[in-house]
Amino acid sequence: MHPPTVDNQSIYAPRSCRLLAVSKLTPQEKLFRLRLEDGRELNHQPGQFVQVSIPGLTEAPISIASSPTCKGYFELGVRKAGLLTGALHQLQPGAQIGIRGPFGRPFQLEALLGKQLLLLAGGCGLAPLRSLIQYCQKQSSAYSAVQILYGARSPQDLLFKDDLEDWQLSTNFNCRYTVDQAPASSCYDGETGLLTRLLADVQVEADNCCAVLVGPPPMYQPVISALHRMGLNGPQQIMLSLERQMRCGVGKCGHCTIDHLYCCSDGPIFWLEEVEHLRGAL
Amino acid sequence: MLKQLNRADLDLLLTQISDEYRLQVPQLLADGTRQLAGYTGEAELSLTGEVLQRKPSAFFFPQTQRLLDIDTAGAVAVPQPAEKPLALFGLNQADLAGIRFLDRFFRAAPADDAYLRQRNGALLIGLTGMAGPDNCFLSLSAGDCDIELVAVKESWLALGHSSDGEKLLQNFPEGDKTQLVRMRHLNEGTAAESDLLQQASQLLIEDRVPDQFWMEIADRCILCSGCNLVCPTCSCFCVQDRNRGEITERSRVWDSCQLDAFMREASGHNPLGTDALRTRRRIHHKLAADVERWGEFGCVACGRCDRTCPTGIGMMAVAEEMVKCFGPGKP
Repeated sequence: MHPPTVDNQSIYAPRSCRLLAVSKLTPQEKLFRLRLEDGRELNHQPGQFVQVSIPGLTEAPISIASSPTCKGYFELGVRKAGLLTGALHQLQPGAQIGIRGPFGRPFQLEALLGKQLLLLAGGCGLAPLRSLIQYCQKQSSAYSAVQILYGARSPQDLLFKDDLEDWQLSTNFNCRYTVDQAPASSCYDGETGLLTRLLADVQVEADNCCAVLVGPPPMYQPVISALHRMGLNGPQQIMLSLERQMRCGVGKCGHCTIDHLYCCSDGPIFWLEEVEHLRGAL
Repeated sequence: MLKQLNRADLDLLLTQISDEYRLQVPQLLADGTRQLAGYTGEAELSLTGEVLQRKPSAFFFPQTQRLLDIDTAGAVAVPQPAEKPLALFGLNQADLAGIRFLDRFFRAAPADDAYLRQRNGALLIGLTGMAGPDNCFLSLSAGDCDIELVAVKESWLALGHSSDGEKLLQNFPEGDKTQLVRMRHLNEGTAAESDLLQQASQLLIEDRVPDQFWMEIADRCILCSGCNLVCPTCSCFCVQDRNRGEITERSRVWDSCQLDAFMREASGHNPLGTDALRTRRRIHHKLAADVERWGEFGCVACGRCDRTCPTGIGMMAVAEEMVKCFGPGKP
């Protein structure tokens, strides 16, 4: 073997990162703030992801939850779902982990310029969408209106509660969220029902509107049908992020294929018309 | 360039190659299989016979391949290429097509350094012509090798398809062109397998194969994953770490799309969640998705999956059944 090197001689070589801060989002999710050890910016775009590497536990793909406009750090919202994410949840500030990326096709930002934006997230989907929301916040004049709709399973599953409050107070956004069900014991007094219920009240100029969807697979068909009913039927009107098992991030390992596409490099962000005809895509 | 080698010339060529390369040659092993094994100059060569049991592409993309080492400080060490590059002798037309397919796949940006550490500088030597079982005819290559040896009666026509190949052949005697013309005539009648794949591919692209068909094929699958493991164009892998003291060795290992966990995500969502979907994927990916992405089949018709599958649902068998059920003349 070659003596240790710090530069990337391999597409599989992780870069060293330092954990700056950890905060609890929900009982299952934490937000990790990280900085590359070499002091460089991650230089990602909203919608992209990284491979988090922990020696002994291989890697897991995680969406980047902060905007590239945030300098000196990037953030990952991580649900504890397996061995690696479980180990990540145990880490304290100061810990060192590996990162590869950023990977993937980001949200198509240029196509959003001047449009009314309908940003829709379900469950963990708010993490990657937060990157886009923060980005839009920095240049709010670029869009004619931004509506954020978010759905979670229960009040305790709501991610980024502080951000949701900020976005609700912001004059740049119209932000609403809902939970599928609120237990009688909870003090939640917000909206309940599925995301599609929030959509029922939304008014848009269909011809000048672009919807961005990030959520769990069961969310897509009902939300897309609702958007079609609202008149979003043209090309480049519905952009979505597809979830697959992305093991390598560089289109080699084969686990994320959707027909002839590799979700990790051709996606994860697609226009609806690029994937709706592909079996098993949605 | 056309040269002609007798047996002594062939031995001389192989000896010359083995000075500069890690030469692998076809040998008949004690268990009766033909395999590529390291050239010693002593072991008997198997210059005619059945398809090599193991796919030669495994020399470049082996079942387990080290990607890198990570130390406790997070520093990464990448393996260095071997001092001598590989030379593989005895590859038939399908073996070469399989390597060409993997070359394009792994060289596509971003290039896969783990593959290229084995592949770069390697020498490919085809063996075609009257080199099949009982000296039957094997299709000529598409020129996707450095040297092609076309077996004719008691000698080999030697074609240099690359500058490295031509250099190695330069001192051997000129070849007989009329013999090469005869071999090319024989080659013209060998398209039956690709015709079958073409018809099956068309059915898949036109979405004329119902789910019921895949359920029936899947019922016959015993999930051994042999089809994937022997396939020269299968490139899917998973990654595993092994801790050795202060070093973590990260390797990749062949994976199989026929296994339930192949696409299952941490959330439980599984786009290939049934046997029928996985069986369809194996065939559809090679005959339709690869055509869309790379412009050609992902199946090189080497026949290995059909020989390996214990229940008779290799690529050719499924393609044949598909065409029989839904092909021309069927409703």
